[in-house]
Amino acid sequence: MNRLIYLFRRLLMSIPVVWLGVTATFLIIRVGPLNPAAAIVGPVNSAQAQERLDRIEEQLGLNDPIHIQYGEYLVDLVTFDLGQSWVLYPGQDTVALLAQFGPRTIWLGLWAVLIPIFIGIPLGIYAGLNVNTNRDYLASITGIVWRAMPNFWLAVILLALLSRTDALFFGSGWESFIIKTDLIGAPDLSALGTPEGFIIATKQILPAAFVLGSASMGNELRLSRTAVLEIINEDFIDTARAVGVSRWRLIGKHVLRNALIPLIPVVTSEAYLLVGGSVLVEVVFGINGIGTLFFDAMTSGDLPLAGSLMFVFILLTVSINIAQDLLYTLIDPRIGYAERR
Amino acid sequence: MTDTSSPSDANVTVRTRLDQIPTSATRAWLAGAVLLILPEVGALIQFAASALPLGETAVAAADRIPVLLSRERIPNQGTLVPGEGWEGTFLGLSPARAWGLRVGLIYLYGALCLYWIWRGYLLYRNRYRTASWTPFDDVVSRFRGHRWGQFGLLVVLAFLILAVFAPALGPTTLEQNAIDPYSYELDYYDDDTGDIETITVGAANTDTTSQGIEGRNVGPLTYDQYDRFHPFGTLPSGQDLFTQVALGARVSLFIGLLAITISGVVATSLALISAYYGGLVDLAIVLVSDATQSLPQLLVVILLSVVLSQTWLAGLYSGGVLLALIFALTGWPSLWRAVRGPALQVSERTWVDAADSYGLAPKTTMRRHILPYIVGYLMVYASMSLGGIIIGVSGLSFLGLGISSPTPEWGRLVDVGQPLLTTMSWHIAVLPGTLIVIVVTGFNALGDGVRDAIDAETDLSSEEETSAAASGAGG
Repeated sequence: MNRLIYLFRRLLMSIPVVWLGVTATFLIIRVGPLNPAAAIVGPVNSAQAQERLDRIEEQLGLNDPIHIQYGEYLVDLVTFDLGQSWVLYPGQDTVALLAQFGPRTIWLGLWAVLIPIFIGIPLGIYAGLNVNTNRDYLASITGIVWRAMPNFWLAVILLALLSRTDALFFGSGWESFIIKTDLIGAPDLSALGTPEGFIIATKQILPAAFVLGSASMGNELRLSRTAVLEIINEDFIDTARAVGVSRWRLIGKHVLRNALIPLIPVVTSEAYLLVGGSVLVEVVFGINGIGTLFFDAMTSGDLPLAGSLMFVFILLTVSINIAQDLLYTLIDPRIGYAERR
Repeated sequence: MTDTSSPSDANVTVRTRLDQIPTSATRAWLAGAVLLILPEVGALIQFAASALPLGETAVAAADRIPVLLSRERIPNQGTLVPGEGWEGTFLGLSPARAWGLRVGLIYLYGALCLYWIWRGYLLYRNRYRTASWTPFDDVVSRFRGHRWGQFGLLVVLAFLILAVFAPALGPTTLEQNAIDPYSYELDYYDDDTGDIETITVGAANTDTTSQGIEGRNVGPLTYDQYDRFHPFGTLPSGQDLFTQVALGARVSLFIGLLAITISGVVATSLALISAYYGGLVDLAIVLVSDATQSLPQLLVVILLSVVLSQTWLAGLYSGGVLLALIFALTGWPSLWRAVRGPALQVSERTWVDAADSYGLAPKTTMRRHILPYIVGYLMVYASMSLGGIIIGVSGLSFLGLGISSPTPEWGRLVDVGQPLLTTMSWHIAVLPGTLIVIVVTGFNALGDGVRDAIDAETDLSSEEETSAAASGAGG
């Protein structure tokens, strides 16, 4: 019951946050120095262009007083009427575009969350169990450097390396390893149900997901190392060891289970970073997901589309935040409902 | 200090106390200042003359004052005449050696300046400070035992020197290299004619391109056919890469420092206000910061830099000022979150109550009795966010937004080099990218060190937040 009230309060709190966020977006796009209609039309050097400019201004409602524009904008967002694209995919509905581009970004994000969990956390635990050995230092320094590496640069380097791996991957090179795929390009998600389609789609997304998850991987490595270090000095570990619990059982049952608790919320908060990071990675790897859609919309002057996408991003980050706070309370009931922001 | 209590005595006491202090060490330290200013006095006057409205003659006069550590004093561009050796370089050294010597001297000079500042601090601490011990001493001594943090400090200082002395460090100038290469000429020895020929830098550049094929590549630490030395090789356009990299460091540092200063001031003021007043004020700030954070930073940065690209703001420093403002505008919430906790803790202490009851203005209480306790935390997060901003700026430039040409930027260099990465011209994308990694690692390490030094035992309890700050913009 308490949890329901907490969820309700958390949702209530998020309304002004979303409102402030969309208002900021509105101000940037409608009140900012760049006229959306002019951005769509481009240079006005003929009567035709002028006529088109006037028509688009009329359609977008740019001639109305600003408070009426604002009201209409809010109503549109609440009813999830996200408008259409003007330049990039003229006339296409934004929701349809989202449905078309979204799955690829979600597929990318999913793997970008999974890869760090399966590489970063085991490495961190390994480092924590072998603390102050050379192996520990190697793992820790890798994590630190990994975290400092810009995604776009890592992507560029990884692409270059993978395109020259003819001798590696059992002599087949990355592109024809297991199943033939291209290095750059979007994964084909239509055949995800079949084993072959699944493997192709996964292999296609792996390098990009690896890059996108790199910062998280470094973080999770560091944090799981610290968590293991904290647990391993607890008295109950000594007791278990004294009682004669085997090493693997000790690690599996007593160390890991406790060390993983503080890590779960960290993983969700990584998801938050992925939303913004996907733009660069998608552009470099040629994956036409939502990140690329936003970037192309911005560079081609499709401001209405970009604004609507921003609204979707705001909803996404706010819901991730709420989910994360709920997870906190589920995992660790000691955390007060009132104190979490 | 002596047991004086009335403020009227204070002046006298300070006077007599100052008189009692032996001045030999102080005089030596001040003499050090004079010695350190001498090599660069010309540069300082030239800078002042160009910054102040003094007119043409003053600027021209200032330009005649020699600067010891400059390209003109230690030139690295020369002509190799067979049988006679190098002509035009410093002491007839080879261009590589002359350039190396200049870089070495500049770094030595920078190190001496920093050492001088450190001696000054020690002098103040041992002779002039009234208290024989402050908590800051412990922070310093803990940091002196923190190797990882010192590594970070070293990297950050090297980066600072690179940025500050960028124009003198490059083998050539930006003006010659990229902006106006056809107005400059260079001499070289032509094997065919057997004589010294003259060519414009622009024309020479077209022969020294790095395009990934044999005969069209000038790699790191090599000479091109016009006897020019390229420490980092050349760009696909034939320009010198190191010159661009050094000046790119300046841009990154400028944007990073400006953005972090603005967002630091905003974050600290808001943290003080929300800690002191609490309640509804705090809630309002929480909402605004949550709303700011709900907009993905990199996307807002892209949005704002496109929308504002036509305004006068975007013209300042090739868009650098605008970028710094955008990063400050989107980056303050994470800093604010980091210092709000410590500020809240301090605001509950009795001395804050005491200050209030004593009748101090809220502003004074916040500044004098809360602020000193959160400055350290601010430093930690600022250092870590700075790395994030450097990554963010280069990421934007990589996408073609951000800093516009001809001002060099590391991310744009990576973009230029990307298609050539698998060829023999790999250096164009690899070297600037490696520098970004090293510098960001340095800032993170410095932050780690300062954190451990400030708070040896409690460990600040929120490693996760620092790590989130470090990967900041997620670029």
